[in-house]
Amino acid sequence: MEDGERDGPAGEDLKAQNQRAAVQFKAQHALVVAFFLLLFVFHALGIYLFCSGFLLSRLVLQDRSQCDLPPIEVQHGHSVGSIESGCWHPKSFDKAVVILVDALRYDFTVPFQPRPGDDQPRHFHNALPVLYETSGLTTGTLPTFIDAGSNFAGTAIDEDNLVEQLYKAGKKVVHIGDDTWHSLFPGYFEPNLTKPFDSFNVWDLHTVDNGVNEHLFPLLEDNMQGRWDVIIGHYLGVDHAGHRYGPNHPAMHEKLKQMDDILRRMIDKLDDSTLLVVMGDHGMDVKGDHGGESDDEVEAALWMYSKRPVFGSRDADSVRPPLTAKERAVGQIDLVPTLAFLLGLPVPFNNLGQPIAEAFLGPKTDFDNLAKVSRLTSAQIHRYQGQYAKARNFEESATSSTSLLWQEANRVYNAVQSATRKPTSSDASRIANAFTAYQAEHLRICRGLWARFDLVSMSMGIAALIGTFAVIAIYAHGIGADRATITPLLLAWGAAGTAAGGVAGAAVGFIPSLSLIQISAFGAAVGGISATLVGLWPARKILKMPVPRTFWGGLCFLVTLLLCVGFASNSFTIWEDEQLLFILTTFAVLMLGSSLGQASREDRVLGAANSVSFLVATRLSSLSRLCREEQMPNCRSTYYASATSSTSASWQLIIPVLVFAVLPSAIAFFFGRTRNYEGIGVVWVGYAMRVGLFLVALFWVLDAADDNGWIPSHEAAPQAVEPTSPVSPEAFQTDEPIFTPLNNAPEKPKPKLIIFGYANTHGTRYLLLPSLWILALLLLQKPMGQGTLALCLVSILNILETLDALDQRHSPLGPTLFALMGSYYFFKTGHQAALATIQWESAFIPLKAIAYPWSPIFVILSTFGAQILCAIAVPAISLWKVPPKQPGLLGRVAGAMATHVLFYAAIALATVVEAAWLRRHLMLYRVFMPRMLLAIIVLLLVEFVGAVVALVGVRWSVGSVYEVFGWPGT
Amino acid sequence: MTTPTKPDTALKPGKPLDLLQTQPSLFFANLQPILLLGTLLLSFRSLVADPVNTLLFLAPTIAIVQALYCIICLPSTGDTATPATKPGQKKKTPRTQRQDIWAKVIPVFLSLTLTALLSTPLLYILLILFGAPLTTHHLHTLLLALHLALLTTPHLFYVHGLDATAWLRIASLHLPVDEVYGMSLGACVGAWLGAIPIPLDWDREWQKWPVTVVVGMYGGAFVGKLVGGYLFRGWRIKLS
Repeated sequence: MEDGERDGPAGEDLKAQNQRAAVQFKAQHALVVAFFLLLFVFHALGIYLFCSGFLLSRLVLQDRSQCDLPPIEVQHGHSVGSIESGCWHPKSFDKAVVILVDALRYDFTVPFQPRPGDDQPRHFHNALPVLYETSGLTTGTLPTFIDAGSNFAGTAIDEDNLVEQLYKAGKKVVHIGDDTWHSLFPGYFEPNLTKPFDSFNVWDLHTVDNGVNEHLFPLLEDNMQGRWDVIIGHYLGVDHAGHRYGPNHPAMHEKLKQMDDILRRMIDKLDDSTLLVVMGDHGMDVKGDHGGESDDEVEAALWMYSKRPVFGSRDADSVRPPLTAKERAVGQIDLVPTLAFLLGLPVPFNNLGQPIAEAFLGPKTDFDNLAKVSRLTSAQIHRYQGQYAKARNFEESATSSTSLLWQEANRVYNAVQSATRKPTSSDASRIANAFTAYQAEHLRICRGLWARFDLVSMSMGIAALIGTFAVIAIYAHGIGADRATITPLLLAWGAAGTAAGGVAGAAVGFIPSLSLIQISAFGAAVGGISATLVGLWPARKILKMPVPRTFWGGLCFLVTLLLCVGFASNSFTIWEDEQLLFILTTFAVLMLGSSLGQASREDRVLGAANSVSFLVATRLSSLSRLCREEQMPNCRSTYYASATSSTSASWQLIIPVLVFAVLPSAIAFFFGRTRNYEGIGVVWVGYAMRVGLFLVALFWVLDAADDNGWIPSHEAAPQAVEPTSPVSPEAFQTDEPIFTPLNNAPEKPKPKLIIFGYANTHGTRYLLLPSLWILALLLLQKPMGQGTLALCLVSILNILETLDALDQRHSPLGPTLFALMGSYYFFKTGHQAALATIQWESAFIPLKAIAYPWSPIFVILSTFGAQILCAIAVPAISLWKVPPKQPGLLGRVAGAMATHVLFYAAIALATVVEAAWLRRHLMLYRVFMPRMLLAIIVLLLVEFVGAVVALVGVRWSVGSVYEVFGWPGT
Repeated sequence: MTTPTKPDTALKPGKPLDLLQTQPSLFFANLQPILLLGTLLLSFRSLVADPVNTLLFLAPTIAIVQALYCIICLPSTGDTATPATKPGQKKKTPRTQRQDIWAKVIPVFLSLTLTALLSTPLLYILLILFGAPLTTHHLHTLLLALHLALLTTPHLFYVHGLDATAWLRIASLHLPVDEVYGMSLGACVGAWLGAIPIPLDWDREWQKWPVTVVVGMYGGAFVGKLVGGYLFRGWRIKLS
């Protein structure tokens, strides 16, 4: 490689020229970064528009049920409207203790059932026998999507609900435990007795539970009678044990034993007029996480107990609790009317659940009582249906399935009432069944109704995403000259268009049927995108169609297209990790072949050796797997100690130690090959990085020691070492002085060595940035993920070298490969396109408690570490082994970054369109929507990191090299 | 991988290969792909039912077909393509004919030995790299590698020998496409495509490892030979 040294005017002139070039570079650079942020805005607008149509919410009615206004006239002499005896129906209990055990999966509560291939009880079996042994009412519960929306939101529930009904009826409600309840039901709890606890610190198994015990048990003593009517206790330990260790771990056994003991003590203290309800809000999967829709995650336990015989069963068989949650499952929403009737409250206005039959049958199987509550519940649902139809301007059809069932149920009821003989048990049973049929049908209709999509808004979003994709495609592959010189024009047009479009949209947005925000967002997106395209007009002479023209370009295009098409199939979405291995290997094999065809022996060896190393690293990483539910039984998880665990195995601790021993030397090897392992490079890679990696390894050893109880004192929390570690992210951002000129080649005496030192000034200089970031990313990974992420960095270096050997640094090959690797290593760091695989506990690696904005940032860095690392490495493709005074670097870097973003934009566009297309597919919420959410989050993140970290880093890296070697004129 | 022996020589692309221009040669060259694909399709049912034994029993048959193809149709290594001989010209003494036979049988034997001992292990490693099961199905993968080797390399060894430059050209797709090279490339592309249906949730028996890949590579070899021999003869893939 030769340095393009030119003869310029001597002295002052040269200095001035240099200064001008420097200013020009910095200005252009700022505008390029701004242009990428503008693209980010376009994408954000499109994604907002799509999501606001895709994730619809139902209409919230403000009506409240009144104690003295039953939905239908009540016969049989019960006097309506008295809290003392029961509002609409005679009550069964004065008081209630509701114990919510977070993530109490159904099979935790029943004796172990041997199944073929699973004949040994696990740690979570037989640890909580009280619910089975003490005779009560046990069923499985299924959370429904209606509650799911309000679970995590943390905003107050402003619909009619049980807690508010209790409060309005003058009952004293005490809540102890998870503080989410307070944001959902603000002001309804007894202030003196209530005790909220922070709920998100999943690292901590005992603080909340011990706190709940400490505050709950005194209330059950005699001297506290009259101070409370309902206690809600929310235990979090089981959930946290699941998240931290997985269900099959001694810690889970201990936790369940503790809950068993707590419940036994509680039963002892109860009096006759108190109802005890024990329930789980959801279950957990084999690793102890939840959020998906698999059976293990939605099947929780529900158990009701009273000392007075109140509960009954439909037949003699169902006296014992069912052995699986399948046998007698009730909806979680069914608890609402059940508790309302048992405590004598009106059924909340918006209730969709049905009363749980066993709670009303009584010990003598009294169907008459069940028929009454079922009729009242149906009548309330009918009233709600009417109000909802009125609010949404639906025509209520007399022939709709619900109307017919409602009429039929009333006909049965009236027939029995008007009959002269005394109603028999089977008459009552028929009435109950008729009303239950109406309730079930209504729930089905409501689900369909609320799973509706706003196609207009979704189309606007898709249009904006397509437009942005076109802009990036042209920017990356349609400009036949230096991109950096055209960027200012595009930016100016684009920004002006966005503003004008936004204002125009806001003006049109006064049309009442359209949402103002949506229209103005759409206006901004369309205005900005079309103005950017208009901005290309003056440069039309240098434009070309952005289509692949080379073998490698065609291959990148083909592979991206195949992936995009594959996301329309649930199988390919589920097996994405294996496909990416296949695709990366294909690239590596072809690069190996191409290397062998190089003319120069040096290139041949360099390319072949690095391709083989890339091949091996990729296949080695593939051994790290975290299987998703749908991959079973054809997949074996290796990321954690076992498939049912969320902690690492002890042997995996060797991985951070290996990374510490090998990674700095590997980087030094690549630096040293071109004599760039000098000065600050040695300081950083040789010393600082080694110390950092040592501390990372030490942290994980201590963490394992804490998990496995190797250290006797429980307080040896791993967080203790953290303050001593210099690798906290805050330190990184201020660590900019690392960007001082690295190359001291001019001091070398031999001319040959100077040329070698020149060879990779830009590349090695820039590579310090990714190697800086990987330290922070490694700390947040589990040991297995550290190994794969380190292999990812090695692969990045391999690809940079191979691209040099093949002279392909300007082709889309590098940026596309990096994007494929970002996606691949996302899976190899223990993730899947499913909510349940997010490693929330990574928020507690640097901090002991939740702190905003740090905790979400840590979770993002842990989840998307691979994509972030690869995005940051993209500029190195254009900078690797180019002469120090190479002009036009900025435009090349911008082109590489745009190509990189283009891959993610294609995936996001494809998954968005496919999720919209497959919106009625059975697998929408399980497969397609999570993949779509992953794609859009990754797109925005990569675009942001690419602009703010990578491109900004180029400014210092390239600038400092130009400072030393002189600025190339333009 | 083969190490380059001649440093810094630019790989100049060679010429497409000409078949031996004899009657049996032209006949068998067209029969061979039909024999290969036909054999596989006839045993498809047992391939699905018992891949290991079927592949094992098929291997000798395929090897014989390939050996005959080399002997009858291809010029052996070192030979320049024999110019088309006139029918009357091919009268030679039995003695030299026997010599001719041995001059062909020994290279074929060597080609098949290299296929079994060199190509098969290399392709086995390659299959593992592409994501073939690492801890299970060893025999399945090994037999798959053997069949892939039989479809791709005996004729290449027979024609190009162990000439490093030729093999660098083959590996880097610099060689002009002819029916020999086209068949090898086709088998590889077919095997690649054959992996695609595996993850689909159709629950078909034939989706099991390695049935789809076997079918893909036989189909690919068939198509590759026709395309390379007729449609795209002499065409060069430009990698860069």
